[in-house]
Amino acid sequence: MKKREYIRSVLNIFGSSPFKPLVMHANKGGDCARKLNESLLAFCDGDMDKVEGLSREIDVIEHEADVIKQTIRSELSSSIMLPVNADDLLNFLKPQDSISDDTQEVAFWLTLRKFEATPEIRKGFIELMEKTLQTVEMYEALVSTLGELLGSSFSKRDVEDTLQFVTKVEEMEHQVDIIEKKLTRTIFNNEDVIGALGVYHLSRVVRGIGDIADRSEHAADRLRTMVLRR
Amino acid sequence: MSFFDPLVLLLALAGLYMAWNIGANDLANAMGTSVGSGALSIKQVIIIAAVFEFAGAVLFGKKVTSTIAKGIVPIDSISLIDPHLVAVGMLAAILAAGFWITLATFYNLPVSTTHSIVGAVLGFGLIATYNGIIGFEEIKWNVLAKIVGSWLVSPLLGALLAYVIFSLIRYFILQKAEETYTVEKKFVFLQIITACYIAFAHGSNDVANAIGPLYAGLHSLEMVGINIPLWVMALGGIGMVIGLATWGYRVIETIGTRITELTPTRGFSAEFATASVVVLHSYSSLPISTTHTLVGSVIGVGLAGGLAAVDLSVIGKIVVSWVITVPVAALTSALIFVGLLGVGI
Repeated sequence: MKKREYIRSVLNIFGSSPFKPLVMHANKGGDCARKLNESLLAFCDGDMDKVEGLSREIDVIEHEADVIKQTIRSELSSSIMLPVNADDLLNFLKPQDSISDDTQEVAFWLTLRKFEATPEIRKGFIELMEKTLQTVEMYEALVSTLGELLGSSFSKRDVEDTLQFVTKVEEMEHQVDIIEKKLTRTIFNNEDVIGALGVYHLSRVVRGIGDIADRSEHAADRLRTMVLRR
Repeated sequence: MSFFDPLVLLLALAGLYMAWNIGANDLANAMGTSVGSGALSIKQVIIIAAVFEFAGAVLFGKKVTSTIAKGIVPIDSISLIDPHLVAVGMLAAILAAGFWITLATFYNLPVSTTHSIVGAVLGFGLIATYNGIIGFEEIKWNVLAKIVGSWLVSPLLGALLAYVIFSLIRYFILQKAEETYTVEKKFVFLQIITACYIAFAHGSNDVANAIGPLYAGLHSLEMVGINIPLWVMALGGIGMVIGLATWGYRVIETIGTRITELTPTRGFSAEFATASVVVLHSYSSLPISTTHTLVGSVIGVGLAGGLAAVDLSVIGKIVVSWVITVPVAALTSALIFVGLLGVGI
C-alpha cells in the first residue's frame, strides 16, 4: 500500500515537463551517432571486433532512447497543458527517435561484411560520417535551446536563435546529400574492384548514414513548426 | 461561564486544531511556492509566514470571521432561545470540518477548509431549522449564494490576474532582457515581498475557518462581546503559525523540492495574483479557498505560456471536492450536534 502522508498540496497541478527528457532523448541520438562514427572508423580499418562491440553498445543506447520516448508519450495525457501544441511536440519526437533507430541499423549493417575497397571510397565514408555527425550534433545544439526558449517564455530573440540552428541543420544535411551522391557514384564506379555484393553492402551503408542526417533535418523542421505554431 | 468549563475548553481546543490544520497545509502550500523557486529558505519562510499570517489574521481577519460566525446562520436568534445550543452547534461544526479536513488530507484530496467550515456551519443551521428553532427562511441564503459564487469566481479571478501579470512580465521584461537568468535573479527579491503578501492575505481570510465558529460559540455564552476581541483572533493566528512550524515545514519541503518549474517570475505572478484575490475577498467579507485560488493562478501562468507542463486534471478533482464537501460537512456537523446533545454536553 502506498504510504500516506498527512499532506494536502498543490503539487498535482504541476505536470512533469516533457522538455528535459526531450533534450536527453536528443542526446541519446547524438551518443549513437558518435559511437557510429567510431564504429565506421574501425570498419574502415578492418577491426571487425570493435565494430561488433560498438554495434552492441549502440543497441543499448537506442533502447535507452526508446524508454525515454515512451516515458514522454505516456506522461503527455490529454489533461496536460504545454506552452506548445502537444501534437507538434509528438510530431517532432518521432523523427528525433529515428536518429537512434537509423544509427542502430547502420551499426548492424557494418557488422555484416568486411570493408574491402579503395582508399577513395574510404575517404568518402569518413567524410560522409563526419558531416553526418556534425549535422546530428548541430541538431543536439538546436534541441538544447529549448531550455532557453522556455525560460524566456519564447521571446522573439530566443525564437530567432533557435530558428538559426534549424537553418544550420538544414544546410548541413544538404552537404551530406551532396557527399552521399558522390560517394554512391564512386562505389558503383568501382564495381570491378569490390564486386556486386560489395557495391550493394556499401551503398546500403551510405544510404543509412545519409538517412541519419535526413532524420535530423526532418526533426529540426518539425521543431520549427512546433516553435512557430504555438 | 468560566473558561475552564468543558464546553469552552473543547471549543477552544477544536478551534486550535482547525487552525493547526490550516497552518500545516494551506499556509504551507501558499508559502511553498517561494521555496520552490529558491527565493527563500524554509527557515526564512516560516519566520515570514509567522509574522505576516499573524498580522493578517489580527488586523484584517475580522470581516470574514464575522461572516462565518453569524453571516450564514442567524446565531443571535438561536442564542436568544438557547445559547447552549449555539455553543454545542459550533463545537459540532468545528469537529465536523476538522474531521473532513483530516480525512481529505490523508488522501491528498484538494478539499478546502473554507468550504468545509461553511458546510459545517450550514449543517448546524439546517438542524436548527429542522427542530423548529429558526425558520428555514432565516438562514441567509443570499449570503450563502454569494459565498458559493465567490468560490467559483476566486480561482477564475486568480487565473485572469496571474495571466495578465505574467504576460506583462513576459512582454516587457523577459522578452527584452539579454539573459533570462538575470531577470529571474531580480525577481527573487520581489518574491520575498509576495511571500509576505500571500501570508498576510491567507491570515486575513483563513483565520475565520478556525475562529469564526469559536467566536460564535463564545459570543453566545456571553464570554465575548459584539466585537471580536483581539485575543480570539490572536488565538487563531497562533494556532496557524504553530501548525506551520510543527508540520507545515514538511509540506513546504515537499513542495519546494518538487516545484522546480516555478521560477521567480512565475512564482511572483502566481503569488501576487493569489494574494490580491484573497485580500479582496477578505475585504468583501467573503470566505474563499486560498489553495484553490493559488491553483487558478498557477493555471493562469500556464495559460500565458509560463510553465512547461500544467496538469489540468486537478480542476476536475477540485470541482468534485466542491460538490462533495458542503453536503458532507453539513451532514456530519448535524450528526455530531445531535450526538453531542444526546450525550448531554
